[in-house]
Amino acid sequence: MKAQSALVVGLGSPERGDDAVGTAVARAVAALALPGVEVVEHEDPTGLVELWSGRDPVVVVDAVWSGAAPGTLHVLVTGALHPPLAEPAWARTGRGGTHAFGLAAAIELARVLRRLPRSVVLVGVQAEAFEHGTPLTPDVAAAVPAAVEAVVEAIHHDSVSAPGIERGDAHVSG
Amino acid sequence: MSHKLTDGGHVMHVGTLARVEGEGAMHIEYRDGVVTDVQLRIYEPPRFYEAFLRGRAHTEPPDITARICGICPVAYQMSACWAIEDACGTEVSEEIRLMRRLLYCGEWIESHALHIFLLHAPDFLGYDGAIEMAADYPEVVERGLRMKKAGNDLMDTVGGRSIHPVNVRVGGFYRMPTREELRSVRPKLERARDEAVETVRLVAGFEFPDMEQPYEYLALRADQGYPIESGSVVTSSGGAFAVQDFGKHIEEFHVAHSNALHARLDGAPDPYVVGPLARYSLNSDRLSPVSQDAAREAGLGPTCRNPFRSIVVRAVELVEAYTEALRIIDGWTGSASPSVAVPPRAGEGFGASEAPRGVLFHRYVLDGSGIIRDAQIVPPTSQNQRSVEADLRTMVESWSDLDDHALLHRCEQAIRNYDPCISCATHFLDLTVDRS
Repeated sequence: MKAQSALVVGLGSPERGDDAVGTAVARAVAALALPGVEVVEHEDPTGLVELWSGRDPVVVVDAVWSGAAPGTLHVLVTGALHPPLAEPAWARTGRGGTHAFGLAAAIELARVLRRLPRSVVLVGVQAEAFEHGTPLTPDVAAAVPAAVEAVVEAIHHDSVSAPGIERGDAHVSG
Repeated sequence: MSHKLTDGGHVMHVGTLARVEGEGAMHIEYRDGVVTDVQLRIYEPPRFYEAFLRGRAHTEPPDITARICGICPVAYQMSACWAIEDACGTEVSEEIRLMRRLLYCGEWIESHALHIFLLHAPDFLGYDGAIEMAADYPEVVERGLRMKKAGNDLMDTVGGRSIHPVNVRVGGFYRMPTREELRSVRPKLERARDEAVETVRLVAGFEFPDMEQPYEYLALRADQGYPIESGSVVTSSGGAFAVQDFGKHIEEFHVAHSNALHARLDGAPDPYVVGPLARYSLNSDRLSPVSQDAAREAGLGPTCRNPFRSIVVRAVELVEAYTEALRIIDGWTGSASPSVAVPPRAGEGFGASEAPRGVLFHRYVLDGSGIIRDAQIVPPTSQNQRSVEADLRTMVESWSDLDDHALLHRCEQAIRNYDPCISCATHFLDLTVDRS
């Protein structure tokens, strides 16, 4: 059963300001108790290779830094059925404290090891600040419901997603 | 990048070092086979930890300083705890020391497995990185991920999280894991120990450039066992001093090209080295029999001074970390009190432990109510900057017959030999105002 179920991963550190948004969204998705969907919180990208083995679809929620307004959502689709994303799209995700081995590296390593799920959807929330011990900034906190919606949509509409195409930005105003 | 100067000299420059933690660059100038300038440029901005520890409570350093690094948070927590407990005149129980050692084993496992398999092995097998290497050696990379996962699980069980553990406090732990919880991670650790022995064999078969470091080695040495969570300081020239005296022997100083302080030992002009080679060379007699057998089979003698062979020493230390973790788990009764009270008092305290990349010193000055008045953190990568630069100088002068590309690659590899953690090294604040 587990091998077939969808997986939602909230990535990030819960005590680093907006880096906690992955965790916050994961908790909100978990509260929906969607059937056939397992939700986990995770900090170390190297663990993803094993964590998502045999799972499909997989949605990873993380804070991103794209220069857009805080709270902006970015939905990126990759996976074994999709080509690798362009390097600038996310080469620096997951950096910091992971020894230069981030989410992008985990994705590509899993691809080589044939452990990459067919579809991995990254729901990124543009962050504003990563201060120690601070809560989510208001714009990012306000984006959580839209991010939850994006996760649910990614799970339900996984089969119709276009390979390697950014689905577009939905700016969420504070 | 490598290019010739108009006066016949050469410049080798790598603007962003790959497969190291943090942001740094390498810059080397040489002419006629002689190095005229070598700089490990650490340009990641300083992070002011020592400054913002001032004014905080004596209970806070384990959680605050753990955030300096996502790879070695336990090292920061342990050195901080020892230092605060030293300042307050408190001693913890043997069980608490053992649980600290067990948690620390988890950190060594995570850090060494990551470095050996994903960051360092590609240098020896001729790949740009782990992803490229995984295409040809999938089973090796899978093994590395499994071995690292065993460390994550151990950290989860003892520390409450696999990164930045939340269970550590000054005086011990918030809660001790139960025997059953510890035994649940045993099977993975046991398998990983066997895989670590295989890993020693694998990396011992790599080709290593000939190179011997003549520098002083500095590591901790404990009353018993291989130094991990505690010990006093020893050096390869026979020096020995208590952790409380580190400030009398180790002097930090600033150089213009690095945002991390350099360090010298007893005023010596030559560098000193901390980390796996120093630890092994000063403590190989303290390894468990299974680790000693693995080292011997790998061709390691009682000391190892070739920095390129540090990958073999790290693999031996992995065997030791799994073996120690299993030993502590098997002897755990589960009856120990999780912490002792650490009432504050005015004073100065010192702590040190062996982070995966070498000795990490902490010093705190507390006032009578436990408020931190001064803090000093001396991480291993800072201490190793001068030996990294000395290695680069030696290599460029010894191997000037290599073509530019090969020499450049070997220099980058020489930096990765140290598994440098630039994020750790730039924790400090050293503001110099030039009023001339």
